[in-house]
Amino acid sequence: MASDVTEMLVARAIEKTFDRTRALRGAEFSVNAGEVHGLLGANGAGKSTLSKIISGHVTYDAGEIVWRGSRLDVRSPREALAAGITMVMQETSLAPHLSVIENIFLPELGQPGRLSYPRMRGRARDLLDSLGVADSLLLDDEVGSLSAAQRQLVEIAKALAINADLIIFDEPTTSLSPLEVERLFDIMTKLRSQGRALVFVSHRLEEVFAITDRVTVMREGHTVANGVATASLTQTELIRLMVGHNLGAVYAARPEPVQDERVPVLEVRGLCCTPQVRDVSFAVQAGEILGLGGLVGAGRSETLEAIFGLRPRQAGVIELDGKPFAPRKPADAVRAGIGFVAEDRRVQGIVPDFTVRENLLLGHLGAHRGFTLGYSSRQKAIDELMRRLDLSAEQMLDTSILSFSGGMQQKIIIGRWLLLRPKVLLLDEPTKGVDIGTRASIYAILREIAAEGVAIVVVSSDFAELLALCSRVVVISDGASLADLPSAILDEEKLTLLAAPRTSMQQNSRMLRELAEELDGAGFWVLLEEGRVCCLDVAVAQPGADPGFRTGGMPLIGDCLVKTALSCPVNGFVHEPDGSRQTLVVPVHSQRGHDMGAIGITLAGSAPTPSPEAIRSRVQALFARQT
Amino acid sequence: MTQASDLSSTPRPGRPPLPWLRRLTGTLEIRMGLLALLLAVVLALLSPHFLTSTNLFNLLDQSVVVGIVAIGMTFVILTGGIDLSVGSVAGLAGVILGLALHRFSIPVAIILGMLAGAGLGLVSGVLIGWFGLAAFVATLGMMAIARSLAYILSGATSITNLPEGLNGLVYASFFGLPANVAVLLVLYILAWCYLTYTKGGRTIYAIGSNRDAARTAGLSVIFYSVLPYVISGTLAAVAITISSAQLMSIDPLGGTNLEMDAIAAVVIGGASLFGGRGTLIGTLFGVFIMVMIRNGLNLLGVSAFWQGSAVGGVIIAAVLIERIVSTRSRH
Repeated sequence: MASDVTEMLVARAIEKTFDRTRALRGAEFSVNAGEVHGLLGANGAGKSTLSKIISGHVTYDAGEIVWRGSRLDVRSPREALAAGITMVMQETSLAPHLSVIENIFLPELGQPGRLSYPRMRGRARDLLDSLGVADSLLLDDEVGSLSAAQRQLVEIAKALAINADLIIFDEPTTSLSPLEVERLFDIMTKLRSQGRALVFVSHRLEEVFAITDRVTVMREGHTVANGVATASLTQTELIRLMVGHNLGAVYAARPEPVQDERVPVLEVRGLCCTPQVRDVSFAVQAGEILGLGGLVGAGRSETLEAIFGLRPRQAGVIELDGKPFAPRKPADAVRAGIGFVAEDRRVQGIVPDFTVRENLLLGHLGAHRGFTLGYSSRQKAIDELMRRLDLSAEQMLDTSILSFSGGMQQKIIIGRWLLLRPKVLLLDEPTKGVDIGTRASIYAILREIAAEGVAIVVVSSDFAELLALCSRVVVISDGASLADLPSAILDEEKLTLLAAPRTSMQQNSRMLRELAEELDGAGFWVLLEEGRVCCLDVAVAQPGADPGFRTGGMPLIGDCLVKTALSCPVNGFVHEPDGSRQTLVVPVHSQRGHDMGAIGITLAGSAPTPSPEAIRSRVQALFARQT
Repeated sequence: MTQASDLSSTPRPGRPPLPWLRRLTGTLEIRMGLLALLLAVVLALLSPHFLTSTNLFNLLDQSVVVGIVAIGMTFVILTGGIDLSVGSVAGLAGVILGLALHRFSIPVAIILGMLAGAGLGLVSGVLIGWFGLAAFVATLGMMAIARSLAYILSGATSITNLPEGLNGLVYASFFGLPANVAVLLVLYILAWCYLTYTKGGRTIYAIGSNRDAARTAGLSVIFYSVLPYVISGTLAAVAITISSAQLMSIDPLGGTNLEMDAIAAVVIGGASLFGGRGTLIGTLFGVFIMVMIRNGLNLLGVSAFWQGSAVGGVIIAAVLIERIVSTRSRH
């Protein structure tokens, strides 16, 4: 090892047994100052246990931990904090009723002596400044009212407040939107450059490749790869290390859109369910997997809950098989043939005191009319289902559901609805907290039941998953559905831009409107790819300059009214051959150098041509300020 | 299916098959049954009067009132609630029974008393299940209201001069069992079957274990959150009817502290106050354990003032042991 690299923490031969389960059997781990170290593994591989041992939340049975060259024996999170080790928890460990500032300095409440609020306030401001988030977090806000991303920032600030040198991030991106993930990575990069050691625990391989310098992979309590440079690995190699064998493509070929003009099984028009859902419309055919894309908080989960009768609706029509359907409670939806797999298994899915069998039969119990249980009528279906879900062992039916991993529990919840042979299955983040192996089998099951004619609606924040699983994606942003596109013409980047909340696009929209009005034409923001226009926003002040597409639309370039300008972008205004319009196309990039598509200005063909330079510099300046 | 699914279908390392003894003691009801048996053996060794048939019938007799109320309390606690009002509801239902006995026939009066109990339970249940009040608060309020109404309606004096036929009810016997004990056993069997073999019973367990999941699965959460309080109120009235028939006098103070005894029996029987866990068999053993401790201390001539300490100690010990055992087996 190079001499200038300082090993900050080394864990050797760590053993840990919970009751009869050996969670760790000789785990090895080491992390250097000034690096982001990925800690990977399937669910139950022991990565969480190891993180908790290092941060003092769990004690270990055998092995040793060396911290800055000397042996460290932490028995509680407090001792770990004192040494400078902290963990940013997956389910955040904040006190929801306290303010941001009180949470940041929560560890200090455990110290003797008086607290000085003015001093804490000053320090908190410095900390948030150093993270570059001083404007987006108010120190006196109650933490319970913050978004998941903001709460995480508070957690990070809390870690910095105790001047932690080693920060463990336990699956920090699960509840973040892609933009928020980028911001988190910026912050992590900043912390790395300050010489801190960061451990990044995650399932998402793309993120591991994006942020980590080295990775340690765990499997069944062992370390199978110890501190390998990330750049030396491919995604396939990493998956093989994690699951022990080749997985094949996690995502099979993209499904084709269902070409079917029959009455849709489920149709939603103008659904309104304040405050989160304002205007959502979509339709799904039998045998189709439809994705609802968008950011956390855009109103996707609430849309599903409204359809399932879990939320009162203010307006809108739901039709099931062409007939109006107005569920007042979930039981109505269940009896009508709708199943719903909620986002949080522990809260809305599993009944912890029931066996696997009774958990499977819970939906049956909801749909069943009658005094007795009627369990025996489902026995055959259960046997069949267990084979299908690959839950083989007979005796597992009578085992407590808590003895299974998250992925298995999720399969059981999905199975609960399959047992009822639903017409429509709604799934909210079906692979959240599910390991990569089980994920593949959940995809296979969903494809299989879709092939049998079930209409499936999936909400997912993992855009790669959404695009691979669904034949169509409806993008929901700020509570309104704004695009309905076949996934074949989408990619993650386009989806991210379409999903961006309108509020964060306000600046751009305002600029488009201003330009359109000043120049008496039209302004638009589009992505151009593979002969298609993906329209993110459009403002038309002069009907004669209408470019011929709407926000969320995705026409072929050849079908637009400004096809000449779009097909050969040059530095000035391009006149259409028919002389009706002239258009300037300005490619734009974000501060981080991401391709953000192009801004176009269309004027009537007869209008005087303004200077393209002035417009270009104005547009590019605005985008350069954005992240 | 891909190879991946083979991997995922392996559950976490499960428990090895338990030896028969562990399997036997692994069930909560059996543990409680063994505890009751142990207690009985100890008392039999300490006092020659314990194991006489008179005393055993006495034990059963003393179990009836608390035992019946504990059924309703088990239903309520299974949903994650609590019913502090059962004692007062019993008192008020008793007063209504007494007043009705002076005007109507015995069966009509008994039905009126039970309707009163059911109605009071319904009010608590709706406040809790529909309006979302905390069960503790709603039933605490009902406890005060019912007791005060009992005083008002009775004029704060005992109701006597009850018809002779009422007393005859408890001295009837079915298959050699006194009527009150028979009622107790029949109610336990019916309630146990309801909780184990019906949709309503499993729904009550599901609500207590995870209310949101039950609702999402389409179960009638509100109805089955209210029902246990109605059952609890009705059974409080049944219990006071039996005790009135034995004493042939009805006091507005009747049923005082009954809620504490019932809650204690349910807790000793292994139910979780958070809901979702517990059985009626456990509750019945809980009732027997409590009654045996009282009876045993009486037989041994220990001052009645010590009974509270003994029962309290057993409650805490039972829950503590259960907690230690169950955290071990849950990991």
